[in-house]
Amino acid sequence: MFVAKKALPRRTFLRAMGATVALPMLDAMVPALSAAPKPIPRFGFVYIANGVIQKQWIPETTGAGFDLTPTLQPFANVRQQVSVLSGLSHLQADTFGDGTGDHPRASAVWLTGVHAYDRTVPGVEVRLATTADQMIANVVGRTSRLPSLELAVDFPTQGACDSGDCFYVNTVSWRNATTPNPTESHPRVVFERLFGDGGSAEARQARMRSQGSILDSLRAEVSRVNAELGSGDTVKLGEYLESVREVEQRIQNSESQPLDIELPERPLGIPERFDEHTKLMFDLTALAFRADVTRVFSMIMSRELSSRTFAHIGVPEQHHAVSHHRNDPDLISKKARIDFHQAQMLAYLLEKLQDAKEGDGTLLDQSLVLFGGGMGDGNLHRHADLPCLVAGKLGGAFKPGRHLRYKMDTPMSNLLLTVLDAAGVPIEKLGDSTGRLPLEPLSL
Amino acid sequence: MLCSAWWSAPDLQAAQAPVAVRAAAPSTSAQASADKSDPAAPLAKYCVTCHNERLKTGGFVIDPAQLIDVGAHADAWEKVVKKLRTGTMPPSGAPRPDQATYDSVASALETSLDRAAAARPRVGTLPIAHRLSRTEYRNAVRDLLALGDLPKELSIDYLLPADNSSSGFDTIADLLFVSPSAMERYLDAAQKISRLAVGDTTLPVLVNIHPLDPEHPQDERVDDLPFGTRGGLGVRSDFPVDGTYTVKVELAGGAGRDRHQLEVTLDGERVKLEAFGGAPAGRGGRGGGAPDPRLEFPLTIKAGPRLIGVAFVQRTEARDEATLRPRTRSRGTQPAIASVTISGPHGASTPGDSPSRRRIFICRPSGPADEAPCATKILSSLARRAYRRPATDVDLRDLMPFFAQGRAAGSFDLGIQKALERMLVSSQFLFRIERPWSGTSKDVPLRTNVPLRTEGTTYRISDLELASRLSFFLWSSIPDDELLDAAVAGRLKQPAVLDRQVRRMLADARSSALVTNFAAQWLYLRDIEAKLPDEVLFQDFDETLRAAMERETELFVDSVFRENRSVIDLLSADYTFLNERLAKHYGIPNVRGSYFRRVPLPAGSPRGGLLGHGSLLTITSYSTRTSPVLRGKWVLENLLSAAPPPPPADIPALETKGAAPGEQLTMREAMTRHRANPSCASCHARMDPIGFAMEHFDAVGRWRENDGGQPIDAVGVFPDGTKFDGVAGLKRELLRHPEQFAGTVAERLLMYAVGRNLQYYDAPAVRAILRNAAPARYTLASLVLGVVKSQPFQMREAS
Repeated sequence: MFVAKKALPRRTFLRAMGATVALPMLDAMVPALSAAPKPIPRFGFVYIANGVIQKQWIPETTGAGFDLTPTLQPFANVRQQVSVLSGLSHLQADTFGDGTGDHPRASAVWLTGVHAYDRTVPGVEVRLATTADQMIANVVGRTSRLPSLELAVDFPTQGACDSGDCFYVNTVSWRNATTPNPTESHPRVVFERLFGDGGSAEARQARMRSQGSILDSLRAEVSRVNAELGSGDTVKLGEYLESVREVEQRIQNSESQPLDIELPERPLGIPERFDEHTKLMFDLTALAFRADVTRVFSMIMSRELSSRTFAHIGVPEQHHAVSHHRNDPDLISKKARIDFHQAQMLAYLLEKLQDAKEGDGTLLDQSLVLFGGGMGDGNLHRHADLPCLVAGKLGGAFKPGRHLRYKMDTPMSNLLLTVLDAAGVPIEKLGDSTGRLPLEPLSL
Repeated sequence: MLCSAWWSAPDLQAAQAPVAVRAAAPSTSAQASADKSDPAAPLAKYCVTCHNERLKTGGFVIDPAQLIDVGAHADAWEKVVKKLRTGTMPPSGAPRPDQATYDSVASALETSLDRAAAARPRVGTLPIAHRLSRTEYRNAVRDLLALGDLPKELSIDYLLPADNSSSGFDTIADLLFVSPSAMERYLDAAQKISRLAVGDTTLPVLVNIHPLDPEHPQDERVDDLPFGTRGGLGVRSDFPVDGTYTVKVELAGGAGRDRHQLEVTLDGERVKLEAFGGAPAGRGGRGGGAPDPRLEFPLTIKAGPRLIGVAFVQRTEARDEATLRPRTRSRGTQPAIASVTISGPHGASTPGDSPSRRRIFICRPSGPADEAPCATKILSSLARRAYRRPATDVDLRDLMPFFAQGRAAGSFDLGIQKALERMLVSSQFLFRIERPWSGTSKDVPLRTNVPLRTEGTTYRISDLELASRLSFFLWSSIPDDELLDAAVAGRLKQPAVLDRQVRRMLADARSSALVTNFAAQWLYLRDIEAKLPDEVLFQDFDETLRAAMERETELFVDSVFRENRSVIDLLSADYTFLNERLAKHYGIPNVRGSYFRRVPLPAGSPRGGLLGHGSLLTITSYSTRTSPVLRGKWVLENLLSAAPPPPPADIPALETKGAAPGEQLTMREAMTRHRANPSCASCHARMDPIGFAMEHFDAVGRWRENDGGQPIDAVGVFPDGTKFDGVAGLKRELLRHPEQFAGTVAERLLMYAVGRNLQYYDAPAVRAILRNAAPARYTLASLVLGVVKSQPFQMREAS
């Protein structure tokens, strides 16, 4: 099993392509004239599904020193790094008289502010939009080994999903309007994507060279096939070609950036329990951030319509069933317990990032993690007053530690716009945004 | 008596909702007199009074003058046909024609629509490149390389990301995406699979962990394992090379005070017998007992598919035969196996003689000069089956450099391995590409400078393209040599040849994909794996039961398919497949043993047909209770293609409290209140009666007489007033219109086979399929042949 407890000890330098000493990423980023290393921003997006019990999430008081509500208790140790935002909504997830269902729309809207298309044009199956995490990855992740990492603790849903559109709930990250990014749930697969499948550095290099030559050959092949097909519909081959090019780029990035981190043991299996699985995924994420293997990650901590049970915290019923509590106090308390447990998981990640030193501060100081979902009141399928937590300082661009209450139904897309701004993404509008979200305390 | 189908309600979103296509029974009153077959008069009399330009009722206008060119507004006329065939229009309260008129008008319209479609077929648009689904990739690897039991670490489910589905099917082309992370996984999978197939001795150690479910009882013999043993598991796996592998066994619950024997078998032969346990005499008490034994065995294993069995030798002792409460079963006193880990190869190894090597190496170079020709021969043969068409010089130009690299770096075998790796990520393998070339259908792959067809024209796909569509439809896999040969020779489209091939393929074992891939997705059977019935309320639901339920449905569907029964038997059969565990669950006596066998059911048994299957009953329930709504919706959607639209926003909570304090309403009472709201009633009046009829089945499919202390009331009433009692009554109603169900099966088959959701312009094709399958009583074979011969299957629209 994965040994998670290794704090960053002495670094082991892995030899790569002739270099005898691998430079830590930070030093390699130092511009010639400046002494201080340029900070590297990290972004995280963690999704929780089926709404939350808002009464136990949203604090009564606003500003700094807000009361930690029952669900937010797990953040006691990092409360200076956490801001709670309330009043934000994603009304584009409401039904406009079409199908798709509130759950798929909730996942789809979270990082886009876009109403998920539901086959209103005969023959056209799917359309959404590029999600915020991918926009950020395109800017800050261009030179990392992996531009972004998409994780999920719940396995993809098969079979019935509201009105049949499971692909909207299976991910919150879309490359573009027609290409969702699949998620990884196996810790081993994640490990291998981040760090290779073990073996020496030489073996890894040889593998990268071999893959590079395959990709080269594939590019030529697809160009040839495209030429034959003329200007016909080549969306799928286009995706394929794009993917080939992108992986080539990643390999090039990897070759020029040696891994500078002590690798833990490869995880062998998938932990049975939710909390063990989630923590393992967060361990890998924190490691990936520390080693600067990736700078953007998204995770589905619970998938919309999730039927996972939480027997180990006293909730043997399925998550989705519990979220439809019908005002039954027993079910409300069970849903709140799930909300609390998920908050505990995020707190685990935040504390890990806080424990990792970077520059003068911590890794959490350089990061921004968004925690929440596209559904507010899961019982009534409302997309208003969404759970929304923003953690980390992003190198000073954000001042956490407050409860900011916005006018009800302020678009959450405004928050996304603000985050995109901070990431350096040149964009004026996202989905249904009406402007950037002011992050100073507001009066009601 | 009106031929009204109670399961249809007026569309709430008439303009936008996808049309649920349903076909008609061969009309008995089609011999109506000439003047009666003209629909204009009845339409004017019964429909235009509301649906005219002035009133535009429901946003829908019917103009009998447009009957002269039905094809121009086929989408609207198909809607009219649907309403007429289901008798939902005119609405109750308005004057309605007699049955004969309904039939003749609908038939006349259908005839016109079919004729218009024949003159100008529309077959919908599909992407030119249709990626293999994960299931298809797995089967392609199995058939291409004779690797049917990939080691757990290399299982395709692990190597590749899951696919997305629409309407339950993962064969929908538009949803088969490729992204950079998927590409990375394809590259990784290609490397691992090629190493396994060729038998690479430098393959890193594979560690395959097989955990056993703690709820799985281990006091009986497990299938595949020798008689005289109990518990444990059998693992079938393709071993990559001849070498030394380690089998490590982890016990759950320790050795205890008794002596036990663990047996390891390889292909049924005992290779290890390890005794353990047994405390030294006199220790007594719980704390005694031998320390946990080290159960790790090195084994010499030859490359190829092998069965590793790990089990306890059965001790004879008097024991309780009860099957309830798995948690208090033998676990407490007898050791059980928690997991078996098979790792290796350790140390030196040799490639060996596995089926995959035999499949690949159809020649051996006689000398250095013979290497390139032999490699060419091998790779051409592989590429032909992998790419589903004859290999060309261009293909080999892509592959041979990789052979050369591998040859230079190691050996002839390594060269083939590298080329195979390249082949497995080629667009020619991963995608079915249907090229809009003009010219004859005699297929020519990868030609350049061939003129393309004009955009929008509908044309017949080539023989080779048809061969691929056929094999992925019937086998979820690549074509075999016989099918490819027929296609290359240009004979596949000859009706006699096509017919023969389809029948051959249906008789082939690979057609089980129609059960495990098509039917399992159609019925949402896979959902059973994620169901978690409450452990307190349903104490005897465990993994054995879950597996048994799934197996029952698979075997049952398979029997209807293979025995050439009418698909209607899926609803009305008088038999099922049971083992002891499931029979006890159902309360059916005299079924012993863990193997499945056919069991005839007494007349009037509620268990006959899909509606009595524990699997589907559990899938359509919550973890703590049944849901009449879920069941009603499932039946409407999956058996009748009449899914209700999604619920509107702002649904109030379901009130379950009665008037008196502490009074709880029964499910039925609560739902009745809810349905008092008219905007809810229109859909719930269709769903709920079905669900209530099934209320005798609890949330895990057991029969019950009472719920919450009150007797079950399983009477349902449809919107048109039809009453029926229980599942028997429901089945009777469903079977009044067997063509509705057959039509749904036809639609699903067509959707699955072609890889897109159906539209209104597919209705003529579905009607044709049904018409031609009716004389054969709607057997699966007749429906499949109908799909294969249909225009959407045989033709494409150039884009």
